[in-house]
Amino acid sequence: MDPRQEHALLETRRYFFGRCAAGVGTAALASVLDPRLLAGEAPSAAGAKPQGVLPGFHHAPKAKRVIWLFMADAPSQLDLFDYKPNLADHFDKDLPETVRMGQRITTMTSGQKRLPVAPSLFKFQQHGQNGAWLSELLPNLATVVDDIAIVKSVHTEAINHDPAITYIQTGSQIPGRPSMGAWISYGLGSPNKDLPAFVVLHSRIASGSQTQALFSRLWGSGFLPTRHQGVALRSQGDPVLYLSNPPGVDADTRRRMLDGLAALNQQRLQTQGDPEIAARIAQYEMAFRMQTSVPELIDISQEPKEVLDLYGPEVTQPGTFAYNCLLARRLAERGVPFTQVFLRGWDHHGNLPGNIRQLAPVADIASAGLIKDLKQRGMLDDTLVIWGGEFGRTVYSQGTLTKDNYGRDHHPRNFTMWMAGGGIQGGIVYGETDDFSYNIVRDPVHIHDLNATILHCLGVDHEKLTYRFQGRDFRLTDIYGNVVKGLLT
Amino acid sequence: MCARLGLCAGILFASILSLGLVRADDRVVFNRDIRPILSDNCYKCHGPDEKERQAGLRLDVQGVATGKLESGSTAVVPGKSAESALVARITSPDPDQRMPPTTTGKHLTARQIDLFRRWIDQGAAWQGHWSFIAPKRPELPAVKDAAWERNPIDRFILARLEAEGLKPMPPADKVTLVRRVTSDLTGLPPMPAEVDAFLADDSPEAYESLVDRLLRSPRYGEQMARYWLDLARYGDTHGLHLDNERYMWKYREWVIGAFNNNKPFDQFTVEQLAGDLLPNATLDQRIATGFVRCNVSTSEGGSIDEEVRVRYVVDRTETMATVFLGLTLGCAVCHDHKFDPVTQKEFYSLYAFYNSAADPAMDGNIAATPPVARVPSADDEAKLKALDEQIAAARQKIVDALAKVEYTEPEPTASVAAAEPKEHVWIDDAAPPSAQLQGNSPWEFVGKPEHPVFCGEKATRRQAQGLSQHFFTGAAPGLKIGEGDKLFAYVYLDPKNPPKEIMLQFNDGAWEHRAYWGEDVIPWGNGGSPSRLPLGALPKAGEWVRLEVEAAKLGLAPGAVLNGWAFTQHDGTVYWDKAGVVTRTPQDGQGFESLVAWEAYEKAQTKSTAPQNVRDAINVEPAKRSDEHKKAIRDYFLERVYATTRPVFDPLHKEIETLTKQRADADAAIPVTLVMGDVPSPRETFVLIRGAYDKPGDKVTAGVPAAFPPLPKDAPLNRLGMAQWLVDPSHPLTARVTVNRFWQQFFGRGIVKTSEDFGAQGQWPTHPELLDWLAREFVESGWNVKRLLKLIVTSAAYRQSSRVTPELFERDPENALVARGPRFRMDAEMVRDAALFTSGLLVEKIGGKSVKPYQPAGIWEAVGFVGSNTRDFKREDGESLYRRSMYTFWKRTAPPPSLMAFDAPSRENCVARRARTNTPLQALVLMNDEQYVEASRHMARRMMLEGGSSPAQRLTYGFRLATARRPEPMELDVLNKVFADQLAHYQGHKEEAAKLLSVGESKIADPLDPAEHAAYTMLANLILNLDEAVTKE
Repeated sequence: MDPRQEHALLETRRYFFGRCAAGVGTAALASVLDPRLLAGEAPSAAGAKPQGVLPGFHHAPKAKRVIWLFMADAPSQLDLFDYKPNLADHFDKDLPETVRMGQRITTMTSGQKRLPVAPSLFKFQQHGQNGAWLSELLPNLATVVDDIAIVKSVHTEAINHDPAITYIQTGSQIPGRPSMGAWISYGLGSPNKDLPAFVVLHSRIASGSQTQALFSRLWGSGFLPTRHQGVALRSQGDPVLYLSNPPGVDADTRRRMLDGLAALNQQRLQTQGDPEIAARIAQYEMAFRMQTSVPELIDISQEPKEVLDLYGPEVTQPGTFAYNCLLARRLAERGVPFTQVFLRGWDHHGNLPGNIRQLAPVADIASAGLIKDLKQRGMLDDTLVIWGGEFGRTVYSQGTLTKDNYGRDHHPRNFTMWMAGGGIQGGIVYGETDDFSYNIVRDPVHIHDLNATILHCLGVDHEKLTYRFQGRDFRLTDIYGNVVKGLLT
Repeated sequence: MCARLGLCAGILFASILSLGLVRADDRVVFNRDIRPILSDNCYKCHGPDEKERQAGLRLDVQGVATGKLESGSTAVVPGKSAESALVARITSPDPDQRMPPTTTGKHLTARQIDLFRRWIDQGAAWQGHWSFIAPKRPELPAVKDAAWERNPIDRFILARLEAEGLKPMPPADKVTLVRRVTSDLTGLPPMPAEVDAFLADDSPEAYESLVDRLLRSPRYGEQMARYWLDLARYGDTHGLHLDNERYMWKYREWVIGAFNNNKPFDQFTVEQLAGDLLPNATLDQRIATGFVRCNVSTSEGGSIDEEVRVRYVVDRTETMATVFLGLTLGCAVCHDHKFDPVTQKEFYSLYAFYNSAADPAMDGNIAATPPVARVPSADDEAKLKALDEQIAAARQKIVDALAKVEYTEPEPTASVAAAEPKEHVWIDDAAPPSAQLQGNSPWEFVGKPEHPVFCGEKATRRQAQGLSQHFFTGAAPGLKIGEGDKLFAYVYLDPKNPPKEIMLQFNDGAWEHRAYWGEDVIPWGNGGSPSRLPLGALPKAGEWVRLEVEAAKLGLAPGAVLNGWAFTQHDGTVYWDKAGVVTRTPQDGQGFESLVAWEAYEKAQTKSTAPQNVRDAINVEPAKRSDEHKKAIRDYFLERVYATTRPVFDPLHKEIETLTKQRADADAAIPVTLVMGDVPSPRETFVLIRGAYDKPGDKVTAGVPAAFPPLPKDAPLNRLGMAQWLVDPSHPLTARVTVNRFWQQFFGRGIVKTSEDFGAQGQWPTHPELLDWLAREFVESGWNVKRLLKLIVTSAAYRQSSRVTPELFERDPENALVARGPRFRMDAEMVRDAALFTSGLLVEKIGGKSVKPYQPAGIWEAVGFVGSNTRDFKREDGESLYRRSMYTFWKRTAPPPSLMAFDAPSRENCVARRARTNTPLQALVLMNDEQYVEASRHMARRMMLEGGSSPAQRLTYGFRLATARRPEPMELDVLNKVFADQLAHYQGHKEEAAKLLSVGESKIADPLDPAEHAAYTMLANLILNLDEAVTKE
């Protein structure tokens, strides 16, 4: 090849999985054979180069990768984390106006004659060295409570699912901005050339669950180049869309067809000189390698029983939340910088006790299992795990309140998330809400602050990861966001 | 707060320099050289935004920048850089003094500082922002190589190249050219016969007549519409929350037709923005306003209407600005624009044009959220007309028949009898006609002697533990309820196993009428009300008892019609028999024998099914009735009531009923499409403080920003006036922005690269004079789109070879200078359409509803809402699999994945310029998507049947189908080798061949050798995967 062309090829193109071109293939192939090779070689100090557009980390990263267990539809903080013992005295009394202070509420309950207070039916106990309160619905999480930071004061402005989930995922309530994973892919790239930088896993939900829609924009790239959008690993059909060869075509037949293709593309490159052709040659090689690396990723047959047991009995069924948590760990091992596992079904407007009894155990065991598994591998220190949804739920009952039943509407003014590993202090409870879990009384954390903190853990200053679009430099946190120092190690 | 908005890095300017786009002459030009630096580094604090302004200094206005500041110093002293505070501050050694402040993260390069110095020394001439100054048609620049020019475009391109010391590429060969222009103008590659015809035409007009032919092709309109639909954010679903289906495809058809008919672009604009407001607006002009309605909408429970409605208005305003003004107004939603001269107040003045939209905040999750237009086809119209005529004919028959009847009142005895209430049995031994029997367990009919039966042959029995019932709905004809009617049923309670409670329920459209006997354990309805009325203790067990309840007490008013009846019980064994109503009202098939009797009955009814004029007539004393009264009473009686004549009229009524239903069905099948409309009295508009829907500030009226020419004289102050303003020949932006996007379509990059942003933060045009020349040419030609495109594609610039040398690539990787022909990967739709077309599968049909071709399972389901009507993807069959991709159903929260892989947008918002990436996911689509494998199979068939007899001929033919050219010997050599290899493989693995040949729905009837066909399929797959196959060169 013309050395100048080769130069152009190496220097002028940045490809889907970070920087890669013809000739880098062997290094990437090594990562398939030994994923730790690459996971371990990611830079650990400021000054080391990320694989994306950022010329350097803004400060030493504590986390090399993020796993966000996204609890879509908004779990009730009141029944899981935010213990309010005094509420028992307020059973079926009206929410005091001194608490509500005229704040807007959704039109699902604004027409209700009363807003009767519904104390949680569930028992709470203290756990761990700091005595954090957890509901009886989270017995497994209780065993790792010293590893996590419970944040009780997250808040947002959106009061409906679509805008709220779009907001926390992209920094704007209106569709069109890149999602967090896309920003990370864009800014930091990935050390693994054979897997996408941003992977999305959808968890199967029980039929009849109270759940909302998701939208591909939640893992979309917005105005960033589309190669940064999240790639959904699927539990039905091909794990990555169109990955498998068609019936009647085996890997060897495909390989020989691709050899012919590469030869012809190479000849065209010689006559046309457009380095885009060289890029396409490389993409085909990568596609072929993905046909091996992805099946290897999802093959959990070599996982020992004691590891599988950490995630609970459903772990071997593809598509369950437990299985997805295990895959998230396997992706983390392979250096994938951002994995988001979606668990839907928390939209408990009615019959909350019955519904949450079904869903909380599913979330509890696998989430705790993931923490334990990462910890025993020494990966928790540089893997940031986040657990939470788009808003919280109201202290007052939506619909009829009885002794043993209630529902809860959307509540954006405060909700609970937890974080662990990757630069976050374990064993702390951050922020406090009032006696009704209705207002924040200490250390508010806006979702922009949360996102700024996540980027901070990755060594990125959220104000400096920008992309110019339509004449403006956009960023994940819009024009807001402060790193929550109190959460950091 | 917005103080930190302008996080601008100096990427823009640096990139212009590195591209070598700024000419290295001595003269510093404010707009080209200085404004971008100011905009990026200074305007945030020293620009248009009054709230953020520091030290009273604004550098966007000459008078302020050259005047004395609060501090006493002067920022810019023209001609004297040494005395200018600006230069002192940007070069200050003291970091606290130096501008821009370090906290902004910005700093100026030595070259930028030098530019400031030279600009001031040269006199510091300010210019308004270039794109806000109306274009004038420039003189054509002089060039050395005058022979290269084919039309005026080339003078501008060549002058620039010569200034840069570059030479254009030689013309592309004819094969490349015919493929390039055919793809560009029709979205499909040329077929070998078309290529041959062009090659054979040696006339000097060959190329021009090719272009003319392509511009006349209906495919042209489809190709052009595709780009426009990205701008319009066209989708087949609402886009938010449930993301249900929406009817918008008639608008898509409109866009295709507009391009094919070469509708002048000014009309095209006005009709889409304000077609509904045009005098005597046609249906077509109303359909066009779908452009405004294409924004995403929601109906999410709990939403606050005004918050949502404001978002729609903002989206429509921003979309208009992006598409026609090339301006990003989003910033001004919350505050004065920091870079462009659009204040927040001015934004809301533009917003006011859209603020009176009539569509609701909640789309209702229905496909036809009003306002909508019905769009009947000629066939539809004909069908409706025919039905209307048949209905009229049937009505005439009634009129004729009425005229013939002679009525005589019978003896009075009969009439008295008819007026007495009678028992009408509705249920005995069987449910009424058409009833759908349902229940916790099926109806059980039992007979004598084992079981008690009250009358007839059978009774029904139900044995229950807890709540249980049997019931029916849908009985037709229904049971008519009149004044004072009583409903009854016979019941027998088993003395050995009595129930706790029995209940009768009646359905008149809703199950809200219940009577019960015994304990109050069945919880339905509200106790004590007509929805759960207590009628005392259980009847005596062991004998038949008649239960009776006044219909009125159950909320069943005269005129009510029952279609359903339920027998309900809690525990026990219960038998039911004969049930019905005691009524004066004739039930179906019955009539009155006497007009006098019927009148007496009718008078006693507080409500009636008789029309009001008949009721009114009856209430007039007989002596005072007019002829009109008498005729109304007589006709109605004969037609609807009189037992003797009903056999004449009933069939005619039935006929009209059937025809009316057919008409309603035909009417419902007529497409509807969302259109724009305004509420009758315009809404007031206020500045929304920081964009918050619930924080209105100053009131504003509709108007246009002061930086632009005013609204044309006599323009109405509504959307129509705004649209007329946009296409006024004096408008500085609309024509420039439009021609720039057309240029981008052909060259892959606009003359202004940021085709969505012509503001201060947008890029400086590479060829400003060419842009202005094209804009003026466009306007002066009467906004003639085809003429403009013909000019572009017949230029020498467009016809260059797209080969690139490493030197040229390094100097100009984006081909901004047009020193070579365009070469880039085709858009998603073109890639798929080309594969369908070359394989012979493409079904060409313009317009129509969207279709659902192949898509991997689970794409919609993974995100879908349980109640959404687009949750379950159901692939369609036959033709729908092979339509052009622009007709693929666009679910905006989960768009078609094979198109998304090639950078198709989600259509949630306006897109003026698609990304163009190169990823392994694209390779996987082309290699493995069922659609492409099936296309390969059919392309293989064409190669075998049309290509010739030898593998070399067939492979050459396949290669030509996809690339238009013949393979070079070296290339054919590769193809031959791979083919031989694949053939050997499939000859040894016949079962594998069979599997490969079964991919996709379509069958191939021709007798082809399976191993050979499979091998050619793999070769077709290879050819469709070639970089060249998916690239316009």
